[in-house]
Amino acid sequence: MHKKEIERLAFFARIKLDREELNNAPQEIQSILHYIQKLSDVDTEGVDPLFHFPELENITREDTAETVDRETQKRMMGMGKDKDDYLRVESIL
Amino acid sequence: MTIKETQEKLKRKEISHREMVSSFLSRIKERNEKTNSLLSVFEDVIDKESSVKEDLPLYGAVFVVKDNILIKDERCTSGSKILEHYVAPFDATVIEKIKEGGGVFVGKGNMDEFAMGSSTENSAFGPARNPLDLERVPGGSSGGPAAAVSDGMCNVALGSDTGGSIRQPSAFCGVVGFKPTYGTVSRSGVIAMASSFDQVGPIAKNVEDAELVFKVIHGKDVLDSVTSDLVSKVVKKKIRVGVPKEYFVEGISKDIKETIEGAISKVDASEFEVVEISLPHTEYALPAYEIIMASEVSANMARYDGIRYGLEFGRPAAKSIQDAYLKNRGEGFGKEVKRRVILGTYALSAGYYDAYYVKAQKIRALIAEDFKKAFAKVDVILTPTTPTLPFKIGEKIEDPLSMHLSDIFTVTANLAGLPAITLPCGEKKGLPVGAQILAKRFHEDTLFAVAKKCEKIWK
Repeated sequence: MHKKEIERLAFFARIKLDREELNNAPQEIQSILHYIQKLSDVDTEGVDPLFHFPELENITREDTAETVDRETQKRMMGMGKDKDDYLRVESIL
Repeated sequence: MTIKETQEKLKRKEISHREMVSSFLSRIKERNEKTNSLLSVFEDVIDKESSVKEDLPLYGAVFVVKDNILIKDERCTSGSKILEHYVAPFDATVIEKIKEGGGVFVGKGNMDEFAMGSSTENSAFGPARNPLDLERVPGGSSGGPAAAVSDGMCNVALGSDTGGSIRQPSAFCGVVGFKPTYGTVSRSGVIAMASSFDQVGPIAKNVEDAELVFKVIHGKDVLDSVTSDLVSKVVKKKIRVGVPKEYFVEGISKDIKETIEGAISKVDASEFEVVEISLPHTEYALPAYEIIMASEVSANMARYDGIRYGLEFGRPAAKSIQDAYLKNRGEGFGKEVKRRVILGTYALSAGYYDAYYVKAQKIRALIAEDFKKAFAKVDVILTPTTPTLPFKIGEKIEDPLSMHLSDIFTVTANLAGLPAITLPCGEKKGLPVGAQILAKRFHEDTLFAVAKKCEKIWK
């Protein structure tokens, strides 16, 4: 894992790394990847991945609209800066 | 003091609820400066308790709650700078249930940032210390709650467990920690780490208290779509205890091995039958966990952009929204969180998804199958909880892999969704050693029954 690859992944994850982090990351991530390599020793031909437990069924519910006051809505959204009840963000384009 | 002892004292009017809460608050005042177990303390709880009724199951019980579980109108940081000023707008389902059950809250417990760590050294608000030896870690990630229970700051605590985060700190602090079957306790209002592993559970003075809290908080909840009311009520008369040989090989320290072997021979001398079993894929559990956990972490952390939920580092200096995200997340997250998000981003990226994520989920299936086969022969499985005694602060923080190895015996229960409890089984060098008992999915009743007997045997 090279520094360039780390930089690319960090950008995808929208994380700015400082110089020290960028220097240490390749070795740290590489040591974990190296440890994980042993998974390739296991023959998993014909094994179904365990994405969820069979006894558990998804609970569904009606999608109903509820009206809440502006203040509650802002708190639920965790809105930081706002202007005239709208969340203010930096320019997108 | 246990919940039961507290309730008896209150009923006999030896102490008033107000006096009791105030004694916990003064203990906190006296000790928290040294241990940093709590990130916030609710001094005003003293004025809120008048409506608590005697017939409620948690009547009088005083709780500390890990700081990734939402209590309405209180700060909830998850141990992270990015949530430093976040105030919870609602109660988590488990908090609602405890309130209805008569429990009260005295504070929020310190933790590794977003529950990522095994020592509470990754907290953005400074490490917590083990109350039994202040030079040592209390374990993690629920280090603050486990330390608080051990140190007499509360009767009981709530933690969360993704790869051992309730059990490992409970073992390090000499208390009981219980991770329920995946799907039995609602995570609504609990800050997510790795959603296919996360469970909330109690940290307590004894098994009886852990069971009492579990009975109040468990059950189906429409706000957590994978919850269930399933529960097995059958406890067999004759119990067979399996000891997996793979848990006694590389990595386990001599101190732990000797203490656990002593504890097992005491169990063998009791009414239980002890047999050796094999869980052949054990050595692949931690690497499989690393991949799945990091992948789910990278997805769950995406919601923290510094614009919602509080902190706004880059603003208003950011040139664009993208620049703002990069700065907010770069400065708001700590080292360990960033490492795991980057690793997860890598594991889920095109071309690597099958080789890492799907492969790890297949190995997860093999591990679950190992347990299924074992439980055809035995009723519970007994293992060490941790490979070492509580380590010194600073000892492992610079080496992420060696820190992750601290979870080697606990991650299997999360991979297979099993219920697992840790309880003290002895001491070495003045430090506690925890034993872990695992049962079949939804067989908590068997687990509690066996744990209560072992508790007596090991006392």
